[in-house]
Amino acid sequence: MPLIAGALACALFGALAGALCQGAWAQDTSGKPETSPEPPPAVAKDCGEANVTVTPLPNSALALQKRQQVKILAIGASSAAMLGMGHDGNPPLLEEILERNIKGLDVEIINRSYSGELAEAAGERLKIEVALNHPDLVLWQVGTNDAFAQVPVENFEQSVTNTVRWLKDHNVDVILVGLHYIKQLTKDEHYQAIRASLQRITAAESVLRITRYEAMEVLARTMRESGRPEPRDFGLTEAGYNCMAQYVARAIAVGLFAKPPKPHAQPSPTR
Amino acid sequence: MIRQANAIDFWRGFALISIFINHVPGIYYERLTHRNVSISDSAELFVFLAGWSLGLLVSRRKGELTAPGLVARLGGRAMTIYAAQILISSIALAILAGAAYAFDNPLILEWHNAAAAFQDPALAHIGLVLLTHQLGYFDILPLYVVLMLAAPLIALIDKFAKPALVPISLLLYFCALVVPFTAPTWPVAGQWFFNPFTWQTIFVLGFVLSRDEGIGAVVRRNMRLIRIVALPIVLVTAILVWFNWFPDPTRLPEPKLLFLNGKSFLTPIRLIQFLALVVVFSGSYAYFAPWVPWLADFFSSLGRNSLNVFCVASLLSLCGQIARYLYTGSLLTDTIILIGGIGLLRLTAGVSEWRDRRTTDA
Repeated sequence: MPLIAGALACALFGALAGALCQGAWAQDTSGKPETSPEPPPAVAKDCGEANVTVTPLPNSALALQKRQQVKILAIGASSAAMLGMGHDGNPPLLEEILERNIKGLDVEIINRSYSGELAEAAGERLKIEVALNHPDLVLWQVGTNDAFAQVPVENFEQSVTNTVRWLKDHNVDVILVGLHYIKQLTKDEHYQAIRASLQRITAAESVLRITRYEAMEVLARTMRESGRPEPRDFGLTEAGYNCMAQYVARAIAVGLFAKPPKPHAQPSPTR
Repeated sequence: MIRQANAIDFWRGFALISIFINHVPGIYYERLTHRNVSISDSAELFVFLAGWSLGLLVSRRKGELTAPGLVARLGGRAMTIYAAQILISSIALAILAGAAYAFDNPLILEWHNAAAAFQDPALAHIGLVLLTHQLGYFDILPLYVVLMLAAPLIALIDKFAKPALVPISLLLYFCALVVPFTAPTWPVAGQWFFNPFTWQTIFVLGFVLSRDEGIGAVVRRNMRLIRIVALPIVLVTAILVWFNWFPDPTRLPEPKLLFLNGKSFLTPIRLIQFLALVVVFSGSYAYFAPWVPWLADFFSSLGRNSLNVFCVASLLSLCGQIARYLYTGSLLTDTIILIGGIGLLRLTAGVSEWRDRRTTDA
C-alpha cells in the first residue's frame, strides 16, 4: 500500500512537472462580430446615470461572432450586485436583459462568487475557474472586502493588476465592478483609497469598470436635490441590485460592438 | 470523566485555532498559520480527524453496536451538527444585521453571501434549512453534516465489506474530479465551497487509518518507509507554496482537476500533500507534549469540545472581521482579537466540560 501511494504521488508530481513545460494555448482575437450592432439595452430612469465608457470586449465579440454565445464568469463578494436578483429558479436578470436585447445571443453565466474573499485569494481562484470553464468574459466585483479587511492599498492594487494582466494574456475580457456608494463611507479614508486604486487600475490597464459608486452618488444627489428622501440603504435593495445588472448589461452590449482602438501608427523606419 | 490530553484532541484544537485565525481575512497572525508553507490547511485536518474519531468510535464499540444502533447513534450526531449549523447561521445573520444598524453601514448586509437572506428572505431561509444556502466561512459544517449522514453507510460497508470501502470512496472522488460534479447552491446559483463528493475521501481515509487493522495496520507497520517518501513531498510543496511556484492552470492537461491545486474539489495534490504532512507529524505529539504540557492541555481541551468551540470560533471570527473594519486592523487590534478570541474559545471548552461534569454527577 505505501508503495502504491508513493507511486501515485510520483505519477501526479511527474504530470505536474510535465505540464509546467507545455506551451500556452492562445486564441485568435482578430475577428469582429458580424452580428449587426443593436442599440444597447436602456437603463431604467430610476437607476440614474449609466456612466458606461466604450471599452471593447474583443474576446466576447469573437465568441458572439463564432458561437453566438458568450460565457460569463461572475466572481466576487456579491453576485446579486452584478447579476441582479434571480427569482424562482429564473436566470439572473443580466442574462435575461442581454438575451432579450441582442438577437440570437445565448448567454451562459457561471456564478462562482464566494463571499468574504479578498482580491488576492479571489485572483488565485479565478485562474482555476478560467481553466475549468473557459469564459469569454469575467465579471469581477472587487474591493469591498479588501476595504473592510484593511488590506494595504498597494497590496490590493498589485493583486488586482496581476490578475487583470493574466486574464488579458489568456484572451479573457474582464469587467471590474467597483465599490458601492454608501453616504456613510464617503469619509472613510481606506474605502476611498481602495476605490481610487481601482480607478487607477482600470485606467492603466484599459479595462472596463462599472462605475457603481459614481452612478449611485449621482442618483443620490439627484434625489436629494429633487426633495425626495435619500434612501439609507441605497442600492442594497432588489431595485438597486437590478439597476447594477442593467449597468452591467449595457456595458457588455456596448463593449461587444465597440470598435477596437486603432493601433498606433508605426514610425517609418529611418536609416 | 474528562479524558486526558491526547494527540487527536491536541491536533483538533490546533485545527480549530488555525480556522479561527484564517477566518479573519487580513489579520496579521494569518501569516503564521501553517497554510503559508502547506498546500493543505486546517480544513483538511479538521475533516480528517472527524473521520479518525468515527473510526475510533466504531472500533471501541465493535461488539456493542448493531447496525440499527449505529445508524441511530451517527444519525443523531449528524442532527446535532445540523442544529449547530442552523443556530450559528442565524446568529451570524443577526450579527451582520446588528452591525449594519449599529454602525450605520448597510453594506455589511452584503457580507458573506448574506444579501439573499435580507433581500429574498423567503427562498434564502429555505436554502439555509436545506443547507443549499451557506454564508461565507460558515460552509464547513454543512459538509460535516453530509459526512455524518453518510457515516452509518461508511461504518456498515466497513463492517460487511471492509476491502470495498476505500475503493468506493476513491471511485466517487475521481468521478467527481473527472466529470466533474459537485453539490449546487440555491437560491443563489453556484456550488458548495466544499465539494462533499471529493471531501468524503479525506473523511474515509481518516476512518480507515485510525484502525489497527487493514490499511491502518499496514501504514503503521511501514511508517518508517512512508516517512521517507512523505518528507520530500512536504518540503518541496512548502517551497512551492512559499514562492507561489504553481503552473498556470490553463496549461495543465485534461482533466484539469486531477492536476490543479483547488480547495473546493480537494484536488489530488492537496490530498497527497495533506497525507504526507500527517505522516511527517504523526507521533510528534509524544515528543513535544512532555516539554509543553500546558500547551498540550490547552489545545486538547479545545479539541475535546470541538463542535462547541468550532461554533463559537466561527462567530468570533465574524466579530473579529467587524472589529478589524471598525478599528482599522492595526497590529494592536489584531493582537486583541487573537488573544481575546483564543481566551473565549478556552472559556467555551471549560464551560462545556463543567456542564458535562454536572450532567454526569447528576
